Amino acid sequence: MRRGFMHWSQQELPPAALDARVARLQSVMRTQGLGAVLTYASFAQPAPLQWLCNYIPYWSEAVLVVWPEGPPTMLVAGTPRTHGWIRSVSHMGELVAAPKPGARAAEILASKLSAQALVGVIGLDSLPWTTAEPLLAAGWGPRLVDATAAYISVRHPGDDAEHAMARTARAIAEHAIAAIPATARKSSEVLAALDGAARLAGAEEVLPRIAPDLGLSATLLRIEGDQELGSRYAVDCSMAYKGVWVRVVQSVTGGEQPALWGDAKTWFDHLLPKVGGSRSMADLVATAPAEVTHWALEASIGVAPLSVVASSNWPSEQVLPPNSLAVFSVQLALSDGLWLRSAPLRLGAGALAKASAEPVTA
Amino acid sequence: MSKALQRQRSGRLREAMSLAGLDVLVVAGDAWRSDYFRYAIDVTPMEGLALAVVWRDGATQVFVENPAEASRIAAEQPMLEVSWGPAPMAQVEAVLAALGPERLGLAPSHVLPLRLAKGPGGATIAATTAMLDNLMVRKSAEEADVVARAVRLADEGYAVFRQAARVGRREYEVVADLEAWFRSQGCPENFMIMGSGGQEVRSMHPPGERVLQAGDLVTTELTPCLEGYYTQICRTLVLGQPTPLQIRSHAVYVEAMEAGIAKVKPGATQGEVAKALNDVFRAHGLGEYITSAYTRVRGHGLGLYVDGPHVLEDVTLVLEANMTLIVHPNTYHPDVGYIVLGDAVRVTETGCEVLTRTPRELFACP
Repeated sequence: MRRGFMHWSQQELPPAALDARVARLQSVMRTQGLGAVLTYASFAQPAPLQWLCNYIPYWSEAVLVVWPEGPPTMLVAGTPRTHGWIRSVSHMGELVAAPKPGARAAEILASKLSAQALVGVIGLDSLPWTTAEPLLAAGWGPRLVDATAAYISVRHPGDDAEHAMARTARAIAEHAIAAIPATARKSSEVLAALDGAARLAGAEEVLPRIAPDLGLSATLLRIEGDQELGSRYAVDCSMAYKGVWVRVVQSVTGGEQPALWGDAKTWFDHLLPKVGGSRSMADLVATAPAEVTHWALEASIGVAPLSVVASSNWPSEQVLPPNSLAVFSVQLALSDGLWLRSAPLRLGAGALAKASAEPVTA
Repeated sequence: MSKALQRQRSGRLREAMSLAGLDVLVVAGDAWRSDYFRYAIDVTPMEGLALAVVWRDGATQVFVENPAEASRIAAEQPMLEVSWGPAPMAQVEAVLAALGPERLGLAPSHVLPLRLAKGPGGATIAATTAMLDNLMVRKSAEEADVVARAVRLADEGYAVFRQAARVGRREYEVVADLEAWFRSQGCPENFMIMGSGGQEVRSMHPPGERVLQAGDLVTTELTPCLEGYYTQICRTLVLGQPTPLQIRSHAVYVEAMEAGIAKVKPGATQGEVAKALNDVFRAHGLGEYITSAYTRVRGHGLGLYVDGPHVLEDVTLVLEANMTLIVHPNTYHPDVGYIVLGDAVRVTETGCEVLTRTPRELFACP
């Protein structure tokens, strides 16, 4: 529910990069004979719309209409008073005030497309009913097709701009975890240090979780109120930097780091370059120095910022091209307790390199 | 949240289902619209789509897209049957396909995915959403108590904001201090927007890179959350000493808000509150600035969502005891720029209780 720093730096994400993303989608649209592609966004479903035009509805909803040629049209539920700000943080063609984006989308499609035109929808199944209903009521139902696969086919491996921002995001997340005081005994101390440090360094959004006592459980919790921490706990700094999400999970101890944690980290660090390579994930995790109680590989393959590509419970792997941005997470049952770690990576290329500019703290 | 309040909400929900003739309820939620989900099963989704199948006389099943979310929810609410898969909608469809004569309702329309809406129960979405809306707007005394307790976070949070807002700092740096403080208080969510500058500023937005300048009007709307319930405060400060023009302009907003709050009582409508507030602007020759060209709403409900029934002149919702709302005459003033001012209030049996304790001042900050 919380939205922080929002900004579009044209140095970090040049308009040409966004134009190129749209052009890649348009190329597939023309191949598939789609008259338009729609993508809906709230801040819970921001990914495709943000990737195409850098807009994230901090509140309310938006629908982006991508045409086979030319710049996309964006329909936003907010008032026209916010259009100046929206223009300052995003890149599109026409910007239309649409209190009911689905209804307005139906009108715009009718004004521009033939009665037989097919319209792709990224994340068609998950399109919220308030947006979908007016499209169906206007007769578009039979001509709506799922464009998620078309989107994913052009989404990865991402461009230089996205990779650079992911490196910055990783650096901010690690900086935020490093800001946790060694003396922290309560979750509130950890979360205050983490959240404050991340936002001061430029994080747009932070979704922190804590496994308060690794002696009891490895489940990462959303904390309401406060919890006492065990001598070993884990912290998840899932966060966005200008729309690019990473997840960094680390196990933490206030005292001396257990020897087995060093072995586990060495294994994890050596594993990262192999993730997304020729060996299956099952083979890779079989090399762990202890029982792997859970693993997951996530990437931006849907409407949410990160979705599961494969996991220990669901090993079938969606094929993404080398260098695609992803997050690998693992849980080990070491002989002296549980250990968690997550890190962003490029498939087949390993951990993200250090950001060229480390986060700045005021 | 207290177990007693959780049981109370569960009881109210099942009573409403019974009155509506529903045996099974499918509730969707995500990080944006977590309110219906939170009401039904006391869980706030963090990532991805979450679906709950609530049986009036049985266990609740939860389906999510992410194994970490599944573990978290199961740990938070052990009585739930939680599972995850890449296609939770398909899992819910399988449950619904096995239904016999049970009567099904789906909600809410804002989040419910098209795939499920096209299936069984799709015709019930509007009525089932309205059923849940009714439960959430008409709060119990215990729910209103939580909103009232949350106001401490808003008042103290605004004091932190005032300390953080200093000439030379960027907007997002100010917010970093504030969000860290909310975390230190165990507050998991806060919706906030702000604005800074002078006469040219016409709205608020998420924090950006702008560096605060001497003489700026700095506006903010803080919306912290306690046990799932949101409260809100809106205030404006000046970096430096307010000018006489700024003070005179701000006085209109104080007068308007007080006129609106004076109307809050059982039996009054949200529209009457809005009209009282807007009439003050009209009387000062500022009627143009209460239109949608300059402002959105004159207040709104507070509860498991940060917005809710809007305070607008054409809204006919009749106020009842224990409803909670914010009255805020936020709008652009042609002389000085955008000004915000808002207090959270609770409808009582005879009138209303103003929950916000922060003075209704145009604050001067060094």
